[in-house]
Amino acid sequence: MGDSIASVITPERAGEVDFALIGHQESWRAAADVLAVLRGPERTPLPDDEIKDILPWIPPRTVCHLEAASIAGKKAHGLYIESFIPPDRLGSGYVCENVARVRAAAAYAIQAGAKIVSLGGFSSILIEGNFDQLPERHNTVFTTGNTLTVAFIVQGIEKMCVLQGRDLESSTLLVVGATGDVGSGCARCLAPMVRRVLLNARNVERLHRLGAELQADGVDGEIATDLREFSAEADLVICAASLAAPSLLLGRIAPDAIVCDAGYPKNLSPKAELPGAKVFFGGLGQITGGLRFAPDFRGVLNRHPFPDVVHGCLLEGMALALERRFEPFSQGRGFITRGRVEEIARVAARHGIYRAPLYNGDGPVEQLPAIYSRAHFDRAACS
Amino acid sequence: MNTSGGNIERVVGLERSPMECTSAPLNALIWEDVLAQAITGELLAAMNYTSLSEICDDPAEVADALEHAEIERGHAARFAAEARKIGVNAANNVGAKHWKRLREAFLRCVAERDFIGCLIVQEIMLESFAVASYARVGRVAPGSLGKTFSTIAAEEEEHVDHAMAILRAERALDAQRLDDKVYRLHLDVMSTLAQMLAKECKDGHCEVCHNSCVKPALFDVSLSAAELRGASLRQYLKALDMLGVPGEVTLTWVTQLPV
Repeated sequence: MGDSIASVITPERAGEVDFALIGHQESWRAAADVLAVLRGPERTPLPDDEIKDILPWIPPRTVCHLEAASIAGKKAHGLYIESFIPPDRLGSGYVCENVARVRAAAAYAIQAGAKIVSLGGFSSILIEGNFDQLPERHNTVFTTGNTLTVAFIVQGIEKMCVLQGRDLESSTLLVVGATGDVGSGCARCLAPMVRRVLLNARNVERLHRLGAELQADGVDGEIATDLREFSAEADLVICAASLAAPSLLLGRIAPDAIVCDAGYPKNLSPKAELPGAKVFFGGLGQITGGLRFAPDFRGVLNRHPFPDVVHGCLLEGMALALERRFEPFSQGRGFITRGRVEEIARVAARHGIYRAPLYNGDGPVEQLPAIYSRAHFDRAACS
Repeated sequence: MNTSGGNIERVVGLERSPMECTSAPLNALIWEDVLAQAITGELLAAMNYTSLSEICDDPAEVADALEHAEIERGHAARFAAEARKIGVNAANNVGAKHWKRLREAFLRCVAERDFIGCLIVQEIMLESFAVASYARVGRVAPGSLGKTFSTIAAEEEEHVDHAMAILRAERALDAQRLDDKVYRLHLDVMSTLAQMLAKECKDGHCEVCHNSCVKPALFDVSLSAAELRGASLRQYLKALDMLGVPGEVTLTWVTQLPV
């Protein structure tokens, strides 16, 4: 089971919780792996049908302790709190139930005395416009973590353009889920750097508002609730929609478009036919000083093919904890600006938290540093 | 009264009284088995509280335990009355294999004069199961049957408070010692309850259901064995939270139970 809790928490720091991460699993496979670790290797893993029956009844709980290490020599102790939102209940029909779960997880973090709490995945989406629904906070602050997610998406797009020999300035950028916190943050950061922006979302009113805001800054673009309505083909695409399952087909984009899937769960449908597109998973960062789990949930809670890779939203809380800057850096919807993105990226970098190596479902999409052999990637991907 | 596992059916007068029977409603046979489990559980609880009274030193605690025993007997009688109303005979069997094991676990605590252990088994473990499952049944059962289940669920939940105060005070003295005791009893009692609550009775007939296992038929009354198990385990986790056992520890305990 890896490191014991005692070895991660030194006696003098026992009880001190710098950060808490609230998350949920995006698939039943991932949920099964979490329960398998909790059951221990000596017990038979639960059958899939039992997992689907049992998991919805489990209240939010801490499942492991974390220790994040900075390259500057600092350490922060934290908790991962699983909200146990069933992976097939992320849709709109379960909003009330899921908000209640996130609230319960938040109460748990507060009770544990966490100084800063990052809201991962749908936890953030459920709460970003409803921070008033969180329990009374005492000395705990909450951040959606979306600003660092945006930083890593933007950095990923820039890196892919370099890798593919693309000129960002002559590109047409499509943002799917443009009015969400992450989508609008990406649009604000990248719109001044590209030729044209296409903004897609379900809420017309919010789309108009974002379009007008960007237009006032001299950005050329279009808005549409239907992807088929855009007059131009995008060659850069950011998928940041709040989808309960991978169901996005995209439709008309340039055949060799660069596509960043930044959703959690992933946005792109397995049926999306993008044969020439360069797809990568965005919004991920790597904590190069190291991240320790007790019990050992490595590769279970962070199911990525590289070590110490975590979603940006969760890393934001860790970065702020390492910086001893316990403030609600990302709150609400639509407040992410380029300045704030650069600021959080600087804070993260000071502690060795950088954009993760780019990869997709087929493997790495950039030349890996020597420390990652192809064999390592394959091994990690298999696990 | 025999307090070591005998049949106390006569004490609460659960014999079928045909005069009181009304016509059996649809699904009456399902409710018969549900009621049989509930009556058995209540009678077992009454026996447990009576046994508990025998190891209490404080006269007030003796009286309290005997009063609880009487309340549980009353619950059994009310369930039995509901059975008669729908024209079925919900027979109890406190000697049925799972219930017998639960009773034996309690009696081991009694033999050790372990008052705290007795409270943990009855109030934290068995009552969690009763409160949660009665509440779920109360939501779907028709008429007075549903109302009785809901009312008794609420009454069971209320009387946990007193025991919880005692247990919390005990934990305040030595948390590790109490948590270790809870875990030891969890392995014994909750493993048995988990087998009872499994979606299917894999190890043969439970010896309480009238004919074949009622679990597959629960869907016909908008219930399921999985739901009853889930709600019971959630109530158990809630009770352990109230006691103060760390949630990350109790989560592991529950996920390690047999299915």
